[in-house]
Amino acid sequence: MRNSRSRPVVLTGLATLLAAAWGVSSTAQPREPVYVGVRVCSECHSGPEAGHQFSTWRLTPHAKAFATLSMEESTEIARLSGIPEAPHTARVCLGCHATAADAEEWERDETFLIEDGIQCETCHGPGSEYMDEEVMRNRELAMERGLKMPSGSTCMVCHGPKGSHEAVLSGEPYDLEKALQTIAHPRPESPPVEASTRSSETQALLGSSQHRFTGVMSCTKCHSGPEMGFQFSKWRMGPHARAFAVLGTPTAREMAKRSGVDGDPQASYACLRCHATGAGHDAASFEVGFDLRDGVQCESCHGAGADYSPEAVMLDPPAATAAGLKKPGPEMCTECHEQGHAGAPFHYQAAVAKIAHPKSPVAVGAAEPVYKTPINLALTPDGSELWVACEASSSTVVVDTATHEVLTEIEVGGQPHDVSFQPDGRRAYVTNRLDDTLSVIDVETHGVVATVEVGDEPHGVLLDAPGELIYVLNSAQDSVSVIDAETLQETKRLTTSRVPWSLSLSPDGEKIFVTNTLSDFVPPRTPPMSEVTVIDAERGAIEDRFIVPGANLLQGVAWHPSGEFAIVTLNRTKNLVPMTRLLQGWTITNGIGIVWRDGRVDQVLLDQPDIAFPDAADITMTSDGRLALVTSSGSDRVAIVNLEKLLSMLGEASPEERERIIPNHLAKSTEFVEAFVKTGLSPRGITLSSDDKTAYVANTLDDTVTVIDLERLEAVQEIDLGGPDLISQTRWGEQLFHSADITFRRQFSCHSCHPDGHVDGITYDIEPDGIGTDPVDNRTLRGIFDTAPFKWSGLNPSLQRQCGPRLAVFFTRIEPFTPTELEALELYITTIPRPPNRHRALGAPLTEAQRLGKAVYERTHTNGGRLIPPNGRCINCHPGPLFTDRQQHNVGTQSPLDREDTFDTPHLTNIYDSAPYLHDGTAFSLEEIWTRFNTYDQHGVTNDLTKDQLNHLIEYLKTL
Amino acid sequence: MNLLKAARLTFVLTVIPMMGLAAEVDQAADRAPEVSDLDLPFVYTDWEQFTVEDGLPNDHVFAVEVDGPRVWIGTEDGLARLDKRTGEIRSWKEEDGLPWRVVSALAVHPDTGEVWLGMFGGGLARFSGGRFDHFHQLNSGLVNDVVYGVCVENENIWAATTAGASRYNTRTGEWTIYTEKNAPMEEIWNYGCSYADGKVYLGVWGSGVLEFDIETENWKDYLDPDGEMEIDLYRDDGIVHVITTGVSYVDKTLWVTTYFGASRYDGRHWRGYFKKDSGAPSDFHNAVQARSANEAWFSTDKGLAQVADFPTDTWVVYTTDHASNTGQAIITRGERVLETRTIPPNIPHNYVLWTEIDGDDLWVGTSKGLANAKGGGFFPGLRRASDQATTVEPEEQPTNRGGS
Repeated sequence: MRNSRSRPVVLTGLATLLAAAWGVSSTAQPREPVYVGVRVCSECHSGPEAGHQFSTWRLTPHAKAFATLSMEESTEIARLSGIPEAPHTARVCLGCHATAADAEEWERDETFLIEDGIQCETCHGPGSEYMDEEVMRNRELAMERGLKMPSGSTCMVCHGPKGSHEAVLSGEPYDLEKALQTIAHPRPESPPVEASTRSSETQALLGSSQHRFTGVMSCTKCHSGPEMGFQFSKWRMGPHARAFAVLGTPTAREMAKRSGVDGDPQASYACLRCHATGAGHDAASFEVGFDLRDGVQCESCHGAGADYSPEAVMLDPPAATAAGLKKPGPEMCTECHEQGHAGAPFHYQAAVAKIAHPKSPVAVGAAEPVYKTPINLALTPDGSELWVACEASSSTVVVDTATHEVLTEIEVGGQPHDVSFQPDGRRAYVTNRLDDTLSVIDVETHGVVATVEVGDEPHGVLLDAPGELIYVLNSAQDSVSVIDAETLQETKRLTTSRVPWSLSLSPDGEKIFVTNTLSDFVPPRTPPMSEVTVIDAERGAIEDRFIVPGANLLQGVAWHPSGEFAIVTLNRTKNLVPMTRLLQGWTITNGIGIVWRDGRVDQVLLDQPDIAFPDAADITMTSDGRLALVTSSGSDRVAIVNLEKLLSMLGEASPEERERIIPNHLAKSTEFVEAFVKTGLSPRGITLSSDDKTAYVANTLDDTVTVIDLERLEAVQEIDLGGPDLISQTRWGEQLFHSADITFRRQFSCHSCHPDGHVDGITYDIEPDGIGTDPVDNRTLRGIFDTAPFKWSGLNPSLQRQCGPRLAVFFTRIEPFTPTELEALELYITTIPRPPNRHRALGAPLTEAQRLGKAVYERTHTNGGRLIPPNGRCINCHPGPLFTDRQQHNVGTQSPLDREDTFDTPHLTNIYDSAPYLHDGTAFSLEEIWTRFNTYDQHGVTNDLTKDQLNHLIEYLKTL
Repeated sequence: MNLLKAARLTFVLTVIPMMGLAAEVDQAADRAPEVSDLDLPFVYTDWEQFTVEDGLPNDHVFAVEVDGPRVWIGTEDGLARLDKRTGEIRSWKEEDGLPWRVVSALAVHPDTGEVWLGMFGGGLARFSGGRFDHFHQLNSGLVNDVVYGVCVENENIWAATTAGASRYNTRTGEWTIYTEKNAPMEEIWNYGCSYADGKVYLGVWGSGVLEFDIETENWKDYLDPDGEMEIDLYRDDGIVHVITTGVSYVDKTLWVTTYFGASRYDGRHWRGYFKKDSGAPSDFHNAVQARSANEAWFSTDKGLAQVADFPTDTWVVYTTDHASNTGQAIITRGERVLETRTIPPNIPHNYVLWTEIDGDDLWVGTSKGLANAKGGGFFPGLRRASDQATTVEPEEQPTNRGGS
């Protein structure tokens, strides 16, 4: 038990010093096991009698894994992986570059230092319960207490091929056998006997130091991170940090012998004087925590630091000098290096340049240009200003509608999505989907006056007619926040369907229609059924839910001035027949739904036989109710719909035609579409001036607003919102992703099935292997880059393969992307970021339920004490940091429709936001994975779990 | 006799009687005011009944919940909504999307108007905008599908189930289970649920009443000091029995029903009610709803009972005699019957399952339909005889004053 933990008897003076250092830290922790860190392991696992295991580790890349996150290459890899944080703080990066990076604070003993990179306990498990010598000498007992003996698959969790790394780093592909040789650390069966003589030789030759040594790990408390130029990491990657460790090598031993040093060089002052800071001084010369084995540390050049290291002293140069801070000079280096072993002359300047560690701040942010990416827009009630929510620049651009000049740009929250005004025009409201906030802006001053917390990933925002209530759609939480406009307090939260997107108030102010992007959950082999949620604006309550059958991706919505109906944009995805039906115009059709006030719904397509109308995104109507304008982000057009003709056509049709024929008719739109107007790239939001003369369209991917003259029905101007001129490769890839140019008759884009890189919530029949065979749930693209292979079958080894030939064969049915297009597309897809986890903020402690769930996730025994075989443990197939082993497994989920019984292991990052689950989307909730689809414990041993344990497990899964 | 036994005996013989004495002294301070037999409570005389013939999906009415003009009715085979303005009843059965036929509990979220259904064997459902969202033990974290009680606490929904209580956070989606592992539940069979003043009260079959403080997340239990005995050894010393069927907390007063009597607790004093020494028609209570600290309605197997005025221990019990097609309202004070008033038929069956207070009105679920008592002229507590002289009775009713 932790309270009774006894550290091994140490044999050397160094170890005694360490024991003193860490002895004070062995106070009881309330929970176990905890990570103790490599330095505690080294108490027994160093020196010749232990085969210099500690030094062997210190010479491997594992020991500098954390430090390497300071490299420019790491920043680039993070960028390629869509990781918005700096690598040395990013959970995913740290997961493979540091031990226990994802552990809570209590799980790390005071002796544990994350800066030591990949340490013993990454492979062998947290050591607090098995580290005692008597336990370690009993392998069975040690393993009972958590000691793990890793296999090659343990290594592959991190060392499996990763596109992001391969794209940046040169070098040989990872060879497991070679790697295992590199890190081999056998313990000699017959240890040499000279060890016991070394302490007398190394200690006290120089007596006490005038100032005490504090050690590099003390210095690093201030001298790490980008703001200090990553000074610690630079040292750690340099030869000085390895200077002590190299003395443990056979080469060093041989060299020492040639120099007349007999025995262990790590115990010889003759060697240590140049290989370890502080060598030769007595024990009183060292602060607790100093570790001689850190080699040549800061204090070799800057002087023993205990007296000058306090920040107040360091900031006062004369005081620091008086307290022992030295200015390094050539003599300090030449003392050791002129007598070096290399034989080559020592060049001071070159050497100094090599170890240079200026404390000037290092930029770790993305080098990508900051685009605007306008998503939605709105006119002030007086029509004088056009406000444009720009997702990528986290700003709202204000345009003068008289001059079409940009007036100002207002910094708001992260990824603003929609903008709306109070009816009196005094305030504007902008939703920020990254931050889960609503920015409240004074229209006159253009200043943000308040920021209000709302639900997850807010999208649409709208005021009621009196301007008293603000409705905000929480797209990732399937809810509406209702906020008092005066107090800015949220008064209630209403339940929508899945991923509410946009909303519109009826002309009489009585009803609000809300579109939901994803279909309700439907049984297998059932078309999507999407919902328009109806809010009673007087009560602020859900009044009704209108179903739009066969449709999904309901996004834009606008009421007709008559108040008799509203129109929504939609897709009609034919996911139940193989996607290869594209040539018949029968894969994804695009159009609008007329949602009548009483709940009846008509659907018409805006596709035409020769060219489709992909990704209908938003809609507006003229105040006379004659025209509707609909954006197609996949084809860069606006459709001008003559509503009189449309309603006339519907009125003349039979009920049977309106229900079955017209919703799928590819030629009907020729009867009521007056014109298609070309816009900029990827038009999304659209709005109209109150005089019906001018329409404004937000072109998401070229940072412009198209101005359409409604009398001429043509675009008359493009307003430049001020984005960068340079189109980066990533931006180009984003444009390709959102363009339907790649598909036959431009029926759909990548975005059609992966709206904004995420999911459409649909299970597809893709391949022409029979109707309904091999159904596959759509998987998110957020943060997928290093999770290859792709597809549920795991057959596609790379994104380029997935998006290249495979896409052409099964989806687009025309010439595939060119190699350069593919590169750009791949780059974009890899940079689609994972949103911040909504169930556990970065670095936040786990809740009690999450903590208990983690124990279930990592458990090795059933509730009855039975050992769970490794392949029955959650963590075995879903190991961090990606939470997938990237292998295929049979988890007992094969259905009669599946030809194969093994499926790719999905990553679990933000798993809570991509329901349904399993390869065929049959599990509508995480619970169902185990309550309905794990009868024989093939998907982890879970049938012994109590209901509360399963709840805890799910709470933990949601934090990943 | 060893020392330990001697100490116990001394405790029983001296300390406990002293405690009783202290209680009497305390209660003396709150002694009932002087009233005359002519000081009487309001009696509901205007009743309306609803059965399947009127549009209910089933006559076994387990739960009623009022939300403004809407009255939600949970039955053994369906959910119904009665519009008070029009009298129209709309119902939902399984073929209409109701996830499970037996609706045993109802709660309406006061902010959103969402209706939460506890279903006996079917779990929990949210009814919103005509859509049922079904939460059960296979697709959610609900601990058990046999749900007896539902209540709303802030953004959380509590479900009292046969295998513990579940708390569902509607914002985060987190389910928390309370059983013997993390709550003082000697038994985990939860019957009733009530939320008020930052505390959730659970009526637990075999574990009395459990109080959960939302802020501190601490539990407090109210158990029968007499253990599991079905007699009340020392009266007014706690809840009368641990087989708890209902709880209602209003005006800082907790009302509790069991299958062996009922209790009231004002934070300082307990009061037990039994058929033998109060106006209660039965010791078998299915549920309780309080209107105030002085007034509560008990759903019993032998009629609808009301503590009409706590300080004077005045009760009114409503029953219907179907053979004669008449109703009775029996007014008692202590163990004395003050008046037996013949009134029109009131509750459609004397086996009462649920009572819902709707302002001055009542809705009563029974095993043979729903009743609505209209409280025109309602007054709380008693009306002094001296005041009645100037008051015109809404309707002359035959009475039988006095009695033993």
